[in-house]
Amino acid sequence: MTARLARQGLWLAPAVALLAALSIYPMLYLLRVSFTALDGGFTLDHFARLFQDRFFAAAAMNTAIYTVVALGLELVLGLALAVLVDSLGRGRAFFRTALLAPMLLPPVVVAVIWRLVYNPQFGVLNGTLRSMGVDTSALVWASGQSTALLSVILVDVWEWTPFMFLLLTAGLQALPAEPLEAARVDGATAWRVFRDIKLPLLKSTIFLAVLLRAMDLMRVFDQIFLITGGGPGIATETMSLYIYRTAFRFFNFGYAAAMSLAGLALAVFFARGLLRLITARAR
Amino acid sequence: MKTALRYALAALAVAAAIAPIWWLVTISLKREIDHFASPPVWIAFQPTLDHYREAFFLRPFGAYLWHSALVAAGSTILALVLGVPAAYALARFRWPGQFRDKVGFWILSQRMLPPIVTCVPLLLMLRQLRLLDSLAALAVVYTAFNLPFVIWMMRGFFEEIPAEIEEAAMLDGESRLGALMRVVLPIASPGLAATAVFCLIVAWNEFLFALMLSQTQHGTTLPVGIASSVTQYEIKWGAMSAAGVVAMAPVFLFAAVVQKYLVRGLSLGAVKG
Repeated sequence: MTARLARQGLWLAPAVALLAALSIYPMLYLLRVSFTALDGGFTLDHFARLFQDRFFAAAAMNTAIYTVVALGLELVLGLALAVLVDSLGRGRAFFRTALLAPMLLPPVVVAVIWRLVYNPQFGVLNGTLRSMGVDTSALVWASGQSTALLSVILVDVWEWTPFMFLLLTAGLQALPAEPLEAARVDGATAWRVFRDIKLPLLKSTIFLAVLLRAMDLMRVFDQIFLITGGGPGIATETMSLYIYRTAFRFFNFGYAAAMSLAGLALAVFFARGLLRLITARAR
Repeated sequence: MKTALRYALAALAVAAAIAPIWWLVTISLKREIDHFASPPVWIAFQPTLDHYREAFFLRPFGAYLWHSALVAAGSTILALVLGVPAAYALARFRWPGQFRDKVGFWILSQRMLPPIVTCVPLLLMLRQLRLLDSLAALAVVYTAFNLPFVIWMMRGFFEEIPAEIEEAAMLDGESRLGALMRVVLPIASPGLAATAVFCLIVAWNEFLFALMLSQTQHGTTLPVGIASSVTQYEIKWGAMSAAGVVAMAPVFLFAAVVQKYLVRGLSLGAVKG
């Protein structure tokens, strides 16, 4: 019995060992460093600083805005597209595949693309607007203090609405046919069928999609880092970017570790809240 | 809604998804003086391959491309070698109590850690081991990214195969491993190929860890190479776009290969690393 278990364990051991080495060690390290002062002694300063640091507060705020706005837009657009494409006859497979393209791109390519689009002088966005007679001298998109955050959110919407679309399409395809048929026979309008039958049945898929997307949004790094670098000023600096700046520009690993742990706790808290909210609704 | 209107809306959505990507392609193929013509030219321009020549012969993007290919291939092979036996063990063996679910969940939860949380400790760990700037170390890190995905995907594929098939092979004298290699894996090979392709995409696209672990050109992958040209003051739009097109081409090729498994793989969050 134990011999058999030991033999079976060997099949799992290499994978588990690698995962443990690359996740448990970093967590223990973070815990240690976040309580270590510059002189090597024990300290709570890194955590105390969290509450006074207005850059941290700003980064947390930006992360929250980014997450909520992008999530809302991606959910609404993804759901609308999934229902729309699902209702098509011929060519449905083509639309499904073509709409996934943005989410497959390397993030760095997404950043290159949107720099080409957003550039105020020679970007294709302002170029197109100019050719339609719009005065674009004030439209600076990702480099404007007030428009930068919205600009990077729109990039996220472009890149990740396909993910919502994908999950919700899968959800729609898995719906039972009978209630939809029955409603149609009874003469229900498409809107009523959507609101009263499809939407309630899709609830668990929507919940999963929102949760997965929210967890990724809260840790957003690549596109913002590459498009605005967190700027102008700190207009687009999210938690991940601020942690990066603290660790790799200021080399303050202790504070970066404390922020990482705080961010992780916030993310878990947020995810649980979301979970509770949605399961409460479902009942 | 009228059918025509529905098709028009769907076509509009596809245009919104594809147009920015197409714009990148045009910039990579346009002569420099045509780059920022006003109004923007989408189709009828005089194409040139100069930017590709510049990116891959005058600039070191060719080497970065090679590094990316090595890391992606190495990490994918390693993830399969470690992950397939683990997936098989979770799918087939008898385990006491809740062991199977607990271990399975723990493995999946490894995907939930934000990369920014693990990158500082990993950086310092690899520095102590003198493994910074090493493509092999980067491949091992990507292996850890991909392992949970491999285990979950392959476990699902294994569970779809009836256990009687390998039991018959073992009665014929095959060992457990022999039965896995010669009987089960050939049946699961479409799933295995799809899983491998998703691993390739993750490793190929990854940016943050590649950025932090590379110190010189010897450890630079394509995304990091492109990124360093994005943040330069004088940006070479043409060469950068050409490198971008080359970086995205394999991904679309891979996606076309695994089309049948696209929903299953992508919804597990495969490409997000």
